[in-house]
Amino acid sequence: MKIVVTVKLVPDPNAEKRIDSATKRLVRSGVETVLNPYDEYALEAALQLKERAGGDTSVVVFSMAPEALKETLRKALAMGADEAVFLSDAGLEGSDVWATAYAMSQALKKIGFDLLIVGGLTDDGSTGAVPGALAEHLGVPCITNARKAEIADGTLRVERETDSGYQTVRGPLPALLTTALTFGEPRYASLKGIMGAKKKTIAPLTLADIGLDLAVGSDGAKMQLEAFAPPPARGKGRTVEAADGAAGAQAIFDFLKEKKLV
Amino acid sequence: MKNVIVYVEHRRGETRKVTFEMATEARTLADALGGQAHAVIVGPGATTLAEQVKTYPLNGVYVNDDPDLDTYLLDPAVDYVEAAARAIGPSLILIPNTLSGRDLAGRLAARLGAGIGADVTEFKIENGTVACVSPKMGGALITTCAIKPAEYGIATVRPNAFAAAAGGAGATMQTLEKPSGKPYAAVIEEDVEEGSGELALEEAPVVVAGGRGLGGPEPFDTLLKPLAHALGGAVGASRAAADAGWVPYSLQIGQTGKTVTPNLYIAVGISGAIQHKVGMRSSGAIVAINKDAAAAIAEFSDLLVVGDAFKIVPELTRLVEAAKA
Repeated sequence: MKIVVTVKLVPDPNAEKRIDSATKRLVRSGVETVLNPYDEYALEAALQLKERAGGDTSVVVFSMAPEALKETLRKALAMGADEAVFLSDAGLEGSDVWATAYAMSQALKKIGFDLLIVGGLTDDGSTGAVPGALAEHLGVPCITNARKAEIADGTLRVERETDSGYQTVRGPLPALLTTALTFGEPRYASLKGIMGAKKKTIAPLTLADIGLDLAVGSDGAKMQLEAFAPPPARGKGRTVEAADGAAGAQAIFDFLKEKKLV
Repeated sequence: MKNVIVYVEHRRGETRKVTFEMATEARTLADALGGQAHAVIVGPGATTLAEQVKTYPLNGVYVNDDPDLDTYLLDPAVDYVEAAARAIGPSLILIPNTLSGRDLAGRLAARLGAGIGADVTEFKIENGTVACVSPKMGGALITTCAIKPAEYGIATVRPNAFAAAAGGAGATMQTLEKPSGKPYAAVIEEDVEEGSGELALEEAPVVVAGGRGLGGPEPFDTLLKPLAHALGGAVGASRAAADAGWVPYSLQIGQTGKTVTPNLYIAVGISGAIQHKVGMRSSGAIVAINKDAAAAIAEFSDLLVVGDAFKIVPELTRLVEAAKA
């Protein structure tokens, strides 16, 4: 069985984001690039399924990003993925959800998979719509937000979280699965894993390799970024030292009254 | 893109406030684009719910009570909305920004060759072009993205961002014929509802959230819940509290949890790490109660009260209850 996990490389989510007032662009200097945290859960799910399936199951990570970020994929290899495929091409710049999903789907058709696992959201763009678009382009069932998954006799059985509880869902392979954060905390890379990752392959792909019928990048994108700006500033508010419970409660109650919230 | 279609997410005829927010906004958008506003409601309970949706300023409501919607995971919904979009013609499709809303949006985008504006909090229309305003990176950036001229466009709409107002001449209701497509692949074997009766965190007008400072699971029930109920809100938590197992992850607010935008956010015993901040910083008013005057949350709270939450919260609950009586 071949499990492919898509991984996005994003600026460290724990770093404060700020906009350069002159260029109006996100300041990336001094901010480390990491695996999208949601994708680490997807990779953890793939590794767990591989361990349970045993045999000749392999885990391949796939990423699409600028060439300079390629080595960041070693982190996924260090966690335990067997190999990586890296799609990079200047022609992808400016891709939106539609173009991203289309380009990824063409690459994934070439790579081939029995199970495709995708993180539930990305930490930067955060549309959450790529998995659904990807499944449509690939023509496979789309089962999202899994907290448990098992594979038996070519059938995928998933326990998935919903907005109001959970569901058990089954579908045939090949299929696309996205993971919830309750699937299991991503493992740390062991020293052996980190050393081993240096020897693993990161196979390069370009747009010429995957064959496209439709335009991608900013030409193919259906959306056009017009502006981006920091949110309206939120000034530091008041601090009140409460002598006791009643005084503290009164300070909050007065504030709520002033703001017409009670 | 002239018309506007609202996808109504519901569970056996029960929907959330965002449906009515979208129905109201759909009218404004359709008028600006010179087209019509419609809603699509499919699955058991659709016809009953349509009577309620009809009281909003729409032209038409398309319904089908098809039980397949409860049997198969989303596949039938994708087919129905696609069929409605093709029947209604070039349109902007509004979908709530929820777990399954995002899935539906992505799948329709691929089928209709449509762009997606995600987590939209405001629309701008100029010369027939729709632009979507969305907070990104947990509110660190506000982007404006235009949908390039095309037959279809999609927007996932953030709950609580638009006003809901009933009214209008009354929409006509019609049956949406079941589309014939390929067989549905993903079968729902079991569907369990949990925590019913509690207000959905994302839609609550008031959120009272607790963190590490609460020291254990009990205060969420004994301290925070009474205050949340008194204020007509819901209880949330920081990642530290969810990681400690004090509350389920479904209550976690922040980077790896939910994003909330209530009118009032009360943070109790939460230090205010960036992980938490990005999930709540767009709230209307922010009040924090913390032992530590130097806690990071002071930097983005309208009011920080330094003191003992175990003494302050019950007093505050009493004051709010008394004001209501």
